[in-house]
Amino acid sequence: MALSAIEVGDLTKDFGGLRAVDRVSLRVAAGERRVLIGPNGAGKTTLFHCITGTLRTSAGRVSLFGRDVTHLPEHRRTALGMGRTFQTSNVFMDLSLLENLVLAIIGTDRRKWVMHRSVGTFEAVRAKAREGLELVALAHRANDAAKFLSYGERRQLELALALNSDPRVLFLDEPCAGLSPSERHSISRMIGELPRDITVLMIEHDMDVALRLADRVTVLHRGRAILEGTPTEVQTNPEVREVYFGHV
Amino acid sequence: MPKAARILLALVVLAAAVLLPRVAGPFWLGLVTQMYVFGLLALSVDLLLGHAGLFSLCHASFFAVSAYTTAILQVRHAVPTALAAPAGILAGTILGLVFGLAVRTRGVYFILITIAFGYVVWGVAHRWSSFTGGDNGVTNVPFPALGTLRVESPTEYYYLVLAVLVLCTIGYRVLVASPFGLTLRGIKASETRMRSLGYHSDLHLYVAFVVSAALASLAGVLYVYYNRFVNPVAASFPISVEVALMAIVGGTGTIVGPFIGSGIILGLRNWVSSFFELYASVMGLVFIVVVLWAPDGVVGLVVRLWVRAVKAGTR
Amino acid sequence: MTTSAILQAINGTSLAALLFLLASGFTLTFGLMRVVNMAHGAYYLLGGYIGLSLAERTGSFAVAIVGGGASIVVLGYLIDRFLIRHTGDNHLAQVLLTVGVAFIIGDVALAIWGGDALKVPVPPFLRGAMELPGGLVYPTYRFVLILFGVFVGAVLWVLYRKTQIGAVVRAGVDDREQVSATGIDVDRLFVLVSAVASFLAGMAGVVGGAFLALYPGAEWEILVVALVVVIVGGLGSLEGAMVGALIVGLLDAYGRWLLPEFSYFVLFGPMAVLLLVRPRGIFGRES
Repeated sequence: MALSAIEVGDLTKDFGGLRAVDRVSLRVAAGERRVLIGPNGAGKTTLFHCITGTLRTSAGRVSLFGRDVTHLPEHRRTALGMGRTFQTSNVFMDLSLLENLVLAIIGTDRRKWVMHRSVGTFEAVRAKAREGLELVALAHRANDAAKFLSYGERRQLELALALNSDPRVLFLDEPCAGLSPSERHSISRMIGELPRDITVLMIEHDMDVALRLADRVTVLHRGRAILEGTPTEVQTNPEVREVYFGHV
Repeated sequence: MPKAARILLALVVLAAAVLLPRVAGPFWLGLVTQMYVFGLLALSVDLLLGHAGLFSLCHASFFAVSAYTTAILQVRHAVPTALAAPAGILAGTILGLVFGLAVRTRGVYFILITIAFGYVVWGVAHRWSSFTGGDNGVTNVPFPALGTLRVESPTEYYYLVLAVLVLCTIGYRVLVASPFGLTLRGIKASETRMRSLGYHSDLHLYVAFVVSAALASLAGVLYVYYNRFVNPVAASFPISVEVALMAIVGGTGTIVGPFIGSGIILGLRNWVSSFFELYASVMGLVFIVVVLWAPDGVVGLVVRLWVRAVKAGTR
Repeated sequence: MTTSAILQAINGTSLAALLFLLASGFTLTFGLMRVVNMAHGAYYLLGGYIGLSLAERTGSFAVAIVGGGASIVVLGYLIDRFLIRHTGDNHLAQVLLTVGVAFIIGDVALAIWGGDALKVPVPPFLRGAMELPGGLVYPTYRFVLILFGVFVGAVLWVLYRKTQIGAVVRAGVDDREQVSATGIDVDRLFVLVSAVASFLAGMAGVVGGAFLALYPGAEWEILVVALVVVIVGGLGSLEGAMVGALIVGLLDAYGRWLLPEFSYFVLFGPMAVLLLVRPRGIFGRES
């Protein structure tokens, strides 16, 4: 059997007395598009945090391409190929868009430690940063501070940051949340056009987007993974209709 | 401000600094030398405060440890400046390696822990009198000398400090414009994002802390040769907090800001203490006024006025 | 040797009692209001000086304690209301602002009470020494101070753990929004807690000023030691302040006794180590 990109075994996360994620197991194949759905408070974002290392897990295992990363800190997991976006845009507000991208690009290599040359002299990095901005249609604002972007533009920048850290597995936490229909369309098109050597895990509330992009769907409810299947299987499952569609 | 204008302004300021000893008497020359030294110390604090977002209140420690080391070597052991000064910087930097552990914490915890660290150094300087000279400190520090090249007057020393200062600000400028400098601003803007992009943020802050301690140590060496003695006051909490205030009054995250702030604070102190006994109260008031009404400092204020003027001009 | 070791333990415990008075107020105002008040040491010094003057005028130690505490309550309220309130949640601003306040208080106190070390006069029945079991002789005052510290600690603990208002304060330490949700007037709660903290600081000045002298600079020395208490115990935790005070008090006493020149190392070294293992202190919660 092919090596899984991500394998999660019995992952559990407690906050005080509250169990946010309850023994979730997942296997995501390399190159797969996996969408996580579930009502609010189902533990989707917490699960993401635990897989990427933003939060420490209470119990369970996480492995990335067969390598156990359960006890690695977040920045090491990024170095090994995880990249992520945040549900509420987490970009560098006071820095220019170009600087935002530069930080994403040099995050996983040694150039981040260079102290004796100005950032401006790294032509290759700047060129790559410009490309990265072009890809999300923000190149014309390269020198503006991120705080001057509109909400939708910030979501695009958020995506660009994740893509430019060269991930092998990309975690997208509601990339389309709060966007207008046209912005939604352009972001989901960008995601759809990602090369297949990137594995994508995505939390998405918009069922149309989710079902169009997904190879497989996992349904979370009250911290548990209650079902996994193809989009069609999930849509027609009576239990899912009850816990998920019943609420929407 | 366009680049050419900035370079021109820097040259004008530099020319003024070079010509100053021709017009200024000993009092003013001394005050300006002091302003350079404390401006450098404030600059070291601002590497953490303005760029990385860490508010350190123990920088008097590196300053003082370096000053004491240099003074003790030079006065008691007749070690030449060429060794005593680097040894001072080394000692202060090594202390920075230890106190840098504070970057395990953030926010209030960082502030409180650096205050506590700072007190250790003050306490040792104060109590270990057999070595540090207690409250009298170490006196009779000579002017620095390098082989046959000796500094023989306050004016010559002024030029030495100015030269070091120019080199330091150039180096500082390169540092903050480098990828490493950018990572510090990234951490200040969003540490969670930095970690998810692959940065070991604690390590970056630690390195910044040590670099900052080294710069503060350099200021300590310049201080001890200027002052000709050092006592526990150099290590005291009021120094740490006053240099932080200098950085803020001038404008954090800038290079000129800490020097402007240093000039304002030292000038104010000299002026007020000449006619008013409660000068510490006036400093206290400055703290309060800055926090409540001028949190961006003088440079921030000038930038605001500049932007307004440019807008008015284009209208 | 053994006798000295025991005496130092009592010394450390009596210092711990004093530190607890100061640290508990600091930690609770931080825990509930997220306010760092660096003027706490100055409150201590000023409370002590006012108590001293009251004791000299009235001859009553009780009046000194209550008066020293109460005057700081008034001062603390004004500083909270007119200055600290304007800093919002910005800790850096709070630190600078309250340091400025402390400078002013210290300077004014210097102008009024002068630069000499002064001691608050102790009533006759607390003067002298008492004999402890085992033939140890120990100053009565410091022994009573331990009892007083335990008493105040017990009262605070009962208020904090066993009463409704304490429950609200604890909820507020965990999550400020929770307090608003209970429908309690948050502002009044803040004023109350801050008044308690101010009173404790002023009272600590009187109580402490009777065996540690009051002098310019004492405000920072005591504040820093109280900060270590708070760091070791964990910011915002009353139990942390108790345990931290005891640890710091004992370390200080033994440090001064065994390594007088490096007593600050003895005090701060363990803090640095603790910091590596538990950055938030013994009772601090991980964020």
